[in-house]
Amino acid sequence: MSRTGSLYIDRNTIFHRLDGSIKLMLWICWTIFIFMFMDIRVFAIMTIVGFVLLRIAQIPFKSIKPLLIFIIIFTIFNSILLIIVTPEYGSQLTGKYTVLLNLFGVKLTMQTLFYALTLSLKYISLLPITLLFLFTTNPSEFACSLNRLGVSYKVAYSISIALRYIPDVRDEMINIINAQEARGVPFKKGDANTIKLLKNYLTILFPLLISSLQRVDVVSNAMDLRGFGKYKTRTWYNRRPLELNDYIFIVISIALVILGVFVKNNFLNKFYCI
Amino acid sequence: MSLISFKNFSFRYKNLKAPTLKNINLDIEAGQKVLIAGPSGSGKSTLAHCINGLIPFTYKGEITGSLEINGIRPYEKSIYEISKYVGTILQDQDGQFVGLSVGEDVAFSYENDNVPVDIMHKGVNKALKEVEMINFIKEVPHNLSGGQKQKVSIAGILATSANILLFDEPLANLDPYSSKKAMDTIDSIHKNQNKTVIVVEHRIEDVLEHDFDRIIVIDNGEIVADGTPDELLPDNILSYYGLREPLYIEVLKSCNIRLSKEDKISKIENVKKFKDSIVKDYNLNSKVKDESDKKVVLSVENISYKYYKDSEYVIKDISFNINSGEVMAILGNNGAGKSTLLKVISGIARQQEGTIKYMGEPIDRWSVKKRGQVIGYVMQNPNHMITKNIVFDEVAFGLRNNGYDEDFVKKRVEDTLKVCSLYQYRNWPIMSLSYGQRKRVTIASILAMQPKIIILDEPTAGQDYRNYREFMSFLDDIKKTGISIVMITHDMHLALEYAQRAVVMSEGRLIINDTVYNVLSNKEIIERANLKETSISKLAKIYDVEDKSSFLEYFTNKIKDGANC
Repeated sequence: MSRTGSLYIDRNTIFHRLDGSIKLMLWICWTIFIFMFMDIRVFAIMTIVGFVLLRIAQIPFKSIKPLLIFIIIFTIFNSILLIIVTPEYGSQLTGKYTVLLNLFGVKLTMQTLFYALTLSLKYISLLPITLLFLFTTNPSEFACSLNRLGVSYKVAYSISIALRYIPDVRDEMINIINAQEARGVPFKKGDANTIKLLKNYLTILFPLLISSLQRVDVVSNAMDLRGFGKYKTRTWYNRRPLELNDYIFIVISIALVILGVFVKNNFLNKFYCI
Repeated sequence: MSLISFKNFSFRYKNLKAPTLKNINLDIEAGQKVLIAGPSGSGKSTLAHCINGLIPFTYKGEITGSLEINGIRPYEKSIYEISKYVGTILQDQDGQFVGLSVGEDVAFSYENDNVPVDIMHKGVNKALKEVEMINFIKEVPHNLSGGQKQKVSIAGILATSANILLFDEPLANLDPYSSKKAMDTIDSIHKNQNKTVIVVEHRIEDVLEHDFDRIIVIDNGEIVADGTPDELLPDNILSYYGLREPLYIEVLKSCNIRLSKEDKISKIENVKKFKDSIVKDYNLNSKVKDESDKKVVLSVENISYKYYKDSEYVIKDISFNINSGEVMAILGNNGAGKSTLLKVISGIARQQEGTIKYMGEPIDRWSVKKRGQVIGYVMQNPNHMITKNIVFDEVAFGLRNNGYDEDFVKKRVEDTLKVCSLYQYRNWPIMSLSYGQRKRVTIASILAMQPKIIILDEPTAGQDYRNYREFMSFLDDIKKTGISIVMITHDMHLALEYAQRAVVMSEGRLIINDTVYNVLSNKEIIERANLKETSISKLAKIYDVEDKSSFLEYFTNKIKDGANC
């Protein structure tokens, strides 16, 4: 993450040139598409396509690695939980019982294992497109993209404001922690037990809250004084007219959903298991 | 018809019993440049809020009498209507920067006015050129200094059609160099664009050298003085109402020189004719002071620090001593490395090279906590330090963390509170204390740990002259306990009056370590570190005094003694 707290990586690729709202739309359609299925073949294809898109967007693997590791750990935990809670769920869906493990009458079936794998890949297939949106969209475009998709500009702008002040609040938090550390409050592992550390982190919330409230006051005055909320609509400094590229991707996004509905209704309408 | 016209105007905040502004009658003509001054709580900000519409639209209350701006009554319209005529720059440079980049922030009013994008971009570029910030158009606020952010805010106002520019304490939080730049920008806008400029500020010395047409002094909700600087400065009106006069005028007055309007003393060049009496007074009374040797408490030896292995050093090869019982000032502009130096001394950051010794013993391996017991650090903003509700608990916090038993804590805290004149407030909620009192609580909470050195970051920022005096005499009392005080400050005069020694940082290096008088009369150092010469030094130059350092010392002390009796 950069000093400003955004994930944006400046490049000049087709995805960087694409309007933020179109990328958001693509993300939404992609997600709808994925959620229609429970089929590992679809997810595998989409995951591969997704990573190809990331490659085209010239996103270095180094910067997506931490997020990738995070999501993989998340899905592993998710799978373990699923297997423990419902060890026969996959078999109930398919009607086949291939028992792999029998512990005191609780049976883990191969189908459940496969179900967990499918589910994991489902989550992972959403990752590349999400990263694509986050890494190629300038934070300055977030608000106007949302607004273009019909979200009220006041709601949209609040996201922009949050992005604007996150780095400031983070700096302030570091300051506060430093000041408390000098007064003998431990914040690092090894200086005190975990519960004590958590409690210490809670104490900094009070000064952080006070200063944030003061900031809110200044920000809202500054915005009022410069006419925010004067009219029902507003224009955006960073908005450009849509280009051919953008229209192509609108078509692609919609086509993706239609394709999904078609395939779902005609071919792959239930959980696929080998 | 005046541009702004208050007639028998009073205002009372909804939750207060007494009115904050009383019977204001004031006319400001188009094209004027007006300074509104007054101590904290005088109502000067309230007056500013009435002009820009925050009153009554954000801060509710009761208005009597009338106020007309450009022929309309703002309180009968909306805050948006007023923003067509009045553009406001708030004092918090960071908080008012609402855009994610420079260009967006300047465009903010355009966006709200539904201005088409192409016209918007042209306007933004033009406004940014006006304040010389066009090269920063894509920069994010995090990478800008306070002064640069302020310029962007000014550009944001220039982008509107507002012909009244209202600056609410524009110099708060700015270092001396940026302050001067900010006033220059305001000057050039006033001259080139024929705007009406209203500045609310209590740092009169920094403001007045920039040709104001008028000073309006407010105290206790009423206008107590209104005139040109030449009319007001000869009298003692400013100091009577708790405002600090420009230093050279204090010098003149300390020598009992009779001043009149005709002397035109608002320009320092015009006081040349008083040379004889001033120089005579100086020659008669100044004496050489002897410097006694003191014990070294902390020595910093060849310290260098960088954030990352492959980045450049933020501070390089810094060495100096802190002696017991002395007050030392660390001077330098934002970005010179002052706060990094402090972080290294307090152990929050670890130097890559060099060593720090306390009483001769290296403390490089000491933890932050252990260092905290000998080196206390007081942050600039007290709200960042306070974590408890009650004064007593806040002061006891550090002691309790270090595991002292409760009887001991009680005794120590009560003693400390007495030293800090806070004993009567020991059971008060901190939220009900004033800013200055809170600042004192944070100092008490550090003093309770009985450190040998206390580091104060901008101790007087945001306080008016009356509070400044009170606070500094409090520090003088604390000094008597034998503690060493290190202050980081932008206020050259504070350093002069209260520090014996000054260390000046510039671009990560220590460029001088000498008595504060020698430092601040050294023109080369002042220029190199972008510090600001005080007007006493200017006076020394005008009067061709040979030993500027001792001239500075003599009159600084003379004024200080005068103010304290």
